[in-house]
Amino acid sequence: MQAVVSLRSARMKLPPYPMIELDLAAPLDRHRATVLPEWIDWNGHMNVGFYVVAFDKATDTLCNQFGCGWEYTREKIGMTFVLEAHVTYDREVKEGDPLRITSQILDYDAKRLHFIHAMYHADDGYLAATNELMLMNIDYATRRSAPWPDWAMPRIETLAATHKSLPVPPQAGRLIGIKRKK
Amino acid sequence: MLQSLPYELPELVTRAPLDIHHATVLPEWVDWNGHMNVAFYVTAFDEASGTFMRNMGLGRRYVDGKLGMTFVLETHVTYDREMREGAPMRFITQLLARDGKRVHLFHEMFHADQGYLAATNETIVMNIDYASRRSAPWPVPAAERLEELWATHKDLPRPTKVGRVMGLGKK
Repeated sequence: MQAVVSLRSARMKLPPYPMIELDLAAPLDRHRATVLPEWIDWNGHMNVGFYVVAFDKATDTLCNQFGCGWEYTREKIGMTFVLEAHVTYDREVKEGDPLRITSQILDYDAKRLHFIHAMYHADDGYLAATNELMLMNIDYATRRSAPWPDWAMPRIETLAATHKSLPVPPQAGRLIGIKRKK
Repeated sequence: MLQSLPYELPELVTRAPLDIHHATVLPEWVDWNGHMNVAFYVTAFDEASGTFMRNMGLGRRYVDGKLGMTFVLETHVTYDREMREGAPMRFITQLLARDGKRVHLFHEMFHADQGYLAATNETIVMNIDYASRRSAPWPVPAAERLEELWATHKDLPRPTKVGRVMGLGKK
């Protein structure tokens, strides 16, 4: 593991920026957004790509919980790359609609995090979409996968333990297909 | 069900897999990590789905004519390699299944010059009636084209990344 020790992210015990207080609500329910005019397509609703833009910002809100948000990249320590994503588009949202996105950790290991976001219309309450993701920690200098930094791992463990009490959403672990009616 | 479409349809391309979609990574698709952001892979794949729909006769004129739309129900992306600003993309698209109002597609995105696989996208697209914004059967000319496409795609081997369930796969 010599190579790992030489990584800047592995040498640092604490990040060079303050970490926010850990939020132990399950699921994490901190992310809010509004559907922007430029997210609307010719069908008059939020385009499929911009659901993922909105979800990606919620991923940053989640990563910020364990000190791996945008400052982690700004300080050139590390990045988080998405390996795989699954989106269910459950209902349309329109320009100006307020969004509430919750996040639930499903699993993790030394360098990956498996979680699912749920996007709700913040006023009307309906589920608009879900996004299941596999995220990997990346060392900034090498752009290769690396273990979560020391400050992140205990927080990920605590969040995961807290989220363990939640039922696994039906959208997690989905297989895509056209289901034929009998 | 629409019996006809009030515009001239493009020539049908029945090559299997379909290989007509090309694009370039735009500057506004690049994020603070210096590569194409995850969301814009989905945008790029959505445009490839749009090319498939145009080939079926359901392009922009279908929406502008207030006849119908196509909505994505579900999508699964694997991010296999980074793409930088200006990178040329080549897509191939395989029709995996279809029914009266849906198609199940599998796209692969390649770096057009270097040849590597950058990402894959499995997706379900549904036909929507413009006025009701509810699902509706394919217009007849589109359904006919879909059957021609199915005839050339149905015997292609199933790509290995189809039907993935996400997980850490711990050893």
